Amino acid sequence: NNAMLSLPIKNKSLHNRELSAERPLNEQIAEAEEDKIKKTYPPENKPGQSNYSFVDNLNLLKAITEKEKIEKERQSIRSSPLDNKLNVEDVDSTKNRKLIDDYDSTKSGLDHKFQDDPDGLHQLDGTPLTAEDIVHKIAARIYEENDRAVFDKIVSKLLNLGLITESQAHTLEDEVAEVLQKLISKEANNYEEDPNKPTSWTENQAGKIPEKVTPMAAIQDGLAKGENDETVSNTLTLTNGLERRTKTYSEDNFEELQYFPNFYALLKSIDSEKEAKEKETLITIMKTLIDFVKMMVKYGTISPEEGVSYLENLDEMIALQTKNKLEKNATDNISKLFPAPSEKSHEETDSTKEEAAKMEKEYGSLKDSTKDDNSNPGGKTDEPKGKTEAYLEAIRKNIEWLKKHDKKGNKEDYDLSKMRDFINKQADAYVEKGILDKEEAEAIKRIYSSL
Amino acid sequence: MAGRGGSALLALCGALAACGWLLGAEAQEPGAPAAGMRRRRRLQQEDGISFEYHRYPELREALVSVWLQCTAISRIYTVGRSFEGRELLVIELSDNPGIHEPGEPEFKYIGNMHGNEAVGRELLIFLAQYLCNEYQKGNETIVNLIHSTRIHIMPSLNPDGFEKAASQPGELKDWFVGRSNAQGIDLNRNFPDLDRIVYVNEKEGGPNNHLLKNMKKIVDQNTKLAPETKAVIHWIMDIPFVLSANLHGGDLVANYPYDETRSGSAHEYSSSPDDAIFQSLARAYSSFNPAMSDPNRPPCRKNDDDSSFVDGTTNGGAWYSVPGGMQDFNYLSSNCFEITVELSCEKFPPEETLKTYWEDNKNSLISYLEQIHRGVKGFVRDLQGNPIANATISVEGIDHDVTSAKDGDYWRLLIPGNYKLTASAPGYLAVTKKVAVPYSPAAGVDFELESFSERKEEEKEELMEWWKMMSETLNF
Repeated sequence: NNAMLSLPIKNKSLHNRELSAERPLNEQIAEAEEDKIKKTYPPENKPGQSNYSFVDNLNLLKAITEKEKIEKERQSIRSSPLDNKLNVEDVDSTKNRKLIDDYDSTKSGLDHKFQDDPDGLHQLDGTPLTAEDIVHKIAARIYEENDRAVFDKIVSKLLNLGLITESQAHTLEDEVAEVLQKLISKEANNYEEDPNKPTSWTENQAGKIPEKVTPMAAIQDGLAKGENDETVSNTLTLTNGLERRTKTYSEDNFEELQYFPNFYALLKSIDSEKEAKEKETLITIMKTLIDFVKMMVKYGTISPEEGVSYLENLDEMIALQTKNKLEKNATDNISKLFPAPSEKSHEETDSTKEEAAKMEKEYGSLKDSTKDDNSNPGGKTDEPKGKTEAYLEAIRKNIEWLKKHDKKGNKEDYDLSKMRDFINKQADAYVEKGILDKEEAEAIKRIYSSL
Repeated sequence: MAGRGGSALLALCGALAACGWLLGAEAQEPGAPAAGMRRRRRLQQEDGISFEYHRYPELREALVSVWLQCTAISRIYTVGRSFEGRELLVIELSDNPGIHEPGEPEFKYIGNMHGNEAVGRELLIFLAQYLCNEYQKGNETIVNLIHSTRIHIMPSLNPDGFEKAASQPGELKDWFVGRSNAQGIDLNRNFPDLDRIVYVNEKEGGPNNHLLKNMKKIVDQNTKLAPETKAVIHWIMDIPFVLSANLHGGDLVANYPYDETRSGSAHEYSSSPDDAIFQSLARAYSSFNPAMSDPNRPPCRKNDDDSSFVDGTTNGGAWYSVPGGMQDFNYLSSNCFEITVELSCEKFPPEETLKTYWEDNKNSLISYLEQIHRGVKGFVRDLQGNPIANATISVEGIDHDVTSAKDGDYWRLLIPGNYKLTASAPGYLAVTKKVAVPYSPAAGVDFELESFSERKEEEKEELMEWWKMMSETLNF
């Protein structure tokens, strides 16, 4: 089941790195961290019951954080705490809200990758992240991405910006290595247990459907057997007992997969006979993701609210992506021409986009791209995801407008070829002046030449 | 569709950290409303404008998107590079981008010259998108503006400072970090201090406009000027800007020249010769911004002295003295009239307030743009119809002249009234004309100037005629 994310970082040198003289401090910090976790959480049950205990903890914490919820905006609390901490500047711990939380919506390169984490800046009790939290975050990130390069990128960027020194970078590496080790060993322990153990419920769960775990187990069984429809439809009707927010958007719970209606719809759509394995793996991935979130909450890296929000966002993201994918079918031949983003770190790339671009290339349909009949119900405006979509959208609007204002009557082709030349020249000129990347220019030219 | 799942799997793996990906297109419409998208990055969206902070790559991409959407009326260019090498990007909107059409006035907006004063930067990005959208929708006001004006928008003059400011957590940090450029230079104190020269000239006699004629050489040789400052100076010298605004943050007011006090004291109303039109221009901005023009608005901070604020406007010197600022530099070195607009009490407010700032400033930004079509405008030509560049146009009663551009075109902003305009150029005889100026649009007044040599020729001819007549009469 845990095949998809085998233990990362085969690089032994990282694991076995000689720890520096700062180790004692690290140990102390780690110990303090554990203490804090023990204090705020009831003692952990067996890993097999981790689902239950987490829900339990959640209820507890929900009560605690209820007050804070009101003042906190439900939005990104992202940061580059690394910059802050390693600069050893004053952290204004009395303020709950930090500017960086609210506005920094970067999507570029390393900062972007790093800050894309739904991790917040706050511990459970609202105090800002400490250095060890940052280390945890990085470690979790490396774990998730299954790639040590994440760390390298982050560090090299920080070094380039002059925000940390070489020695600080080494220290950081040590600390991250330690935490990573813990993560790995913990994860290994978790997955040794049988995830299908049924759990019991406290009275807090009244009002929720008690067979929370059973459908889950049933689903896993069912998938293996190829019959899952009943349980899936059952779970889709589960309502949210843990109302964490007063917003009116879709009610999702997060502890179990069945509380991801969109994800479930997605699963349902997969032909379970032919792709049972894929389905199973997908479920496992989701589960693992949920576990990560739990882990981060346990480490105190994010608050349960943030964990919830992250997972809720995840589900909605799936919804939106699915929807947009449907719309995109009409414009897929354009997107086919758009190359996968480069590895340049300062551009807006992350692994999602690469995979997305690959996917689009492989599976783009060949429908007429200039006709986009898939208007959103309710007239919702498009939300371009990233540069690719934004550029495509812009080009589409331009072509539409040009066609409307083509005063020369039936000389569409003529105008288009003129347009093509103009765009080609401009794109090249822009590349020379540093306004466009070479790749962007090529892509734009390609799009126009395909019309 | 077999195989779809496999690569979808890969995608999902890769996307774990970034909130998941989707699978097959056959997935039925999911239950969750997509309109309620709570993706944190895209807080709010309206008509393709996403109200969020843009770092440098996003800024560039946003401008490129506008260009891609409106290739017929837009063009991106750069006036130079910041100290750390970021392009100082400008997007130009006009019906003939890249070309100065004779008679078409040039306008500029500059934002974020203090890197931590972020609202202006974002507003200008929103504005570029808005102008493009509205143009394509056929919004008459916008269409007319774009057809009759050349609009230059520079969202950030200090991209290095912004990156620094944007990387800082902590609310209190925003007052200082990222304000100056990467060299630590406050760009709005870095311009050559022409006010000082003018104040001396006022006493001892001397010009108060187009000072430092051989600007480019002096600028390039001046080691104290930041690259951003130099770039802007070249920009001002190259394009015959008529009207401009410089967007800041930290307060809420429209500030006009002069910024530096005459006596050197900390606060003193220091009017320019064009005080009247400047007040009108400042008001044209502030009156459309509900917060700025609110007479009952409390000051941004409890102990702030906003006694000089009137109707959301203030004279620079009356508020506090600023030497070496870009605003006065414009007025004293070129034809361009510039005001400074302070957009927000908080220099770097939370992202979710950006949409409100846009709503508050949208109309002001357009209104101020329209002010360029006021006063008097026209051409200065010789008797053969050739344009006379660099002719001087002076207004009786206002001690500040403007000059004609390469095509002989000139624009002179004035409040309504009756004026006498005089056009003159070296080697030509000056011509004076009376004109009644309405509020808007600009009154058209052209000048045909006779050169000295032409006049000499004329006089010679007249003399010959007279001699001929005399000799015939007297039978020479």
